[in-house]
Amino acid sequence: MSLLNTTSHYSLQTRLVLSFGLLLILFLGLAGFVLDRVYKNSVEVAVEERLQLQIYALLGVAEPDGAGFFLPDLEEARFSQIDSGLYGFIVNSQGLEVWRSPSALNLNLADNGYSVGEIIRGKTTYGTLVTLEQGPLSWAGYGTYWENQAQNYSFVVMESTAPTTSQIRQFQSNLYIWLGVLAVILSIAQYLLLRWGMQPLKKLATDVSAIESGEKDNLQGNYPIELLPVTQNLNVLIKSERERQGRFRTTLGDLAHSLKTPLAVLSTALQELRHTQKFTELQRQDMEEQLNRMDQIISWQLKRSVKNSQTKVLTKPIAVAVVVTRILGALQKVYCEKNIKVRSEVASNAVFYGEETDLMEVCGNLLDNAFKYGATQVQVLASQKNQILMLEFNDDGPGIAESDRTFVLHRGARADTLKSGQGIGLAVAVEIINSYGGEISIAQNHWGGARIRVRI
Amino acid sequence: MRLLIVEDEDLLRARLVKAITDSGYVVDSASDGKDGFYNATEFDYDVAIIDLGLPGLDGISLIKAIRAKGLTFPILILTARDNWTDKVAGLDAGADDYVVKPFQIEEIKARLNALLRRAAGFAKPTLDFAHLSLDTTAHKLTVDSVETELTAYEYKVLEYLMLHPGKVVSKSELTEHLYDQDHDRDSNVLEVFIRRLRQKLDPSASLKPIDTIRGQGYRFNVSVKHH
Repeated sequence: MSLLNTTSHYSLQTRLVLSFGLLLILFLGLAGFVLDRVYKNSVEVAVEERLQLQIYALLGVAEPDGAGFFLPDLEEARFSQIDSGLYGFIVNSQGLEVWRSPSALNLNLADNGYSVGEIIRGKTTYGTLVTLEQGPLSWAGYGTYWENQAQNYSFVVMESTAPTTSQIRQFQSNLYIWLGVLAVILSIAQYLLLRWGMQPLKKLATDVSAIESGEKDNLQGNYPIELLPVTQNLNVLIKSERERQGRFRTTLGDLAHSLKTPLAVLSTALQELRHTQKFTELQRQDMEEQLNRMDQIISWQLKRSVKNSQTKVLTKPIAVAVVVTRILGALQKVYCEKNIKVRSEVASNAVFYGEETDLMEVCGNLLDNAFKYGATQVQVLASQKNQILMLEFNDDGPGIAESDRTFVLHRGARADTLKSGQGIGLAVAVEIINSYGGEISIAQNHWGGARIRVRI
Repeated sequence: MRLLIVEDEDLLRARLVKAITDSGYVVDSASDGKDGFYNATEFDYDVAIIDLGLPGLDGISLIKAIRAKGLTFPILILTARDNWTDKVAGLDAGADDYVVKPFQIEEIKARLNALLRRAAGFAKPTLDFAHLSLDTTAHKLTVDSVETELTAYEYKVLEYLMLHPGKVVSKSELTEHLYDQDHDRDSNVLEVFIRRLRQKLDPSASLKPIDTIRGQGYRFNVSVKHH
């Protein structure tokens, strides 16, 4: 079980990257659009102002000359230069052209769709048109009443839009390049900021997994103030959970002690009765058997409850070699008279993910059986493969008959199937192994004794 | 053999003391770890039974304290907590064997017997020296394969001497290990036992299995070879 076993559809990082990214696109897109618009507008206004000024210039030098006009000295050189891109016209109220600038000699406005009718007296009107020769043109027309001729005239100035269009294009390409550069810079900054901002959370996750794998005892180090309540609470939770587990074990141990000592008193009292004639031998044996049963049931239930109470979270990986060595040392002391030859091949990387007491019980009970039933030799092997711990216990005793193996392995299912005199060691080991989702099997080894294999 | 029992449950302690005294041991008892430690350091014991669940100084700490004092007599643990963590902790602390409560008195006696022999370097329950063989389980002596009757005290003296072959055992050591503290210690009685033992072990007076070291005590003669 993991502390962080439920993951939301999107990670925090993804949420932040997506939202910042979206915001960035929206912001830069809008900024680009607005800047483009503003620039275009300002260019258009500038063109209009320029045209207006040219109209004033034409008005200022225009002298009536019969039915037409004579404009002697135009300051703007482009009016005099053919196809210069700046053209001037004066049109009378009948729509007849009475003057055009030398620059417009080649300009054909017959099919242009521009009409002087749009131009209102005393007001400047603006528009655009397209010519075959000069392409698109911006124009401005100003209607004026000429008293000498008693006639309305329209002064029209046209200018090629090519320079402004290219100016706008230039601006646009610059704008998009810079916005792109800005987007890249902001994205990198966003990534770096996110990494920096998420670092405490990553550290928290790493620390929590370190606690899960047992490399650390609690959450240490400096966390940002926003995470402090979480880390402090987690530390308190871990501590109290460990203490609770410890207390539970102690309480159950005390319970075992307080139940078993009276049983021991009863049992010794019963043995003293052997020498009196108060009970028949049969009655005494019955009582002894019942006492033994009570003892077995207490042992069994206490062991079960201790084991079931232990959660596998917050446990440290236990080095199998250390536990096996300690148990072998203890058993060699206890069975020293049998002078048993022990071969222990425990891989140094073999670890048990669970409670040390559970590993102690499994190895203790299985090795105790091996020492008890083995004649001269006991072998223990342990190896680790992809998180799976393999244990093997061999002895050169009589072995376990094939017909008994299933019974022996499933005996632990019900406490009242335990008969007095039968050790509950194997049953306890089976129960613990099952609780970790492990497997245990019994076979015969090359010595003819029992081979117990465990996979956890 | 002098034995120390440290057990806090009065009834159980009393029954253990009685049963073990009945089988020929001199038994002292203590009801908590501190008293147990005092006894262990004050008197010379051959073996001790220590309960792990003691008030005050717990069993494991008591065993560690005893071993830290350099005392090497074998220790049998009594434990109600039938789990390997406790058993291994007790054995690691310096105990030599364990018995889980409740237990059969016979089992305790057998374990004590084995511990005493093991401590003296004997692998089998019989102590064999040339033509002498002492069965520590049945408390029987055979001389040249002939069973020889021994009184309870003769057996105690002989067993103690045979478990310490080659070592000079003083009279006071013998009395301390064979009699209760409040027992009337008359060394003449010991001399009588030794004389009777010599007659039973060596009727022809040729092997001299028990030497008298003047002013020091007795020594079981190792030249009566141990095999």
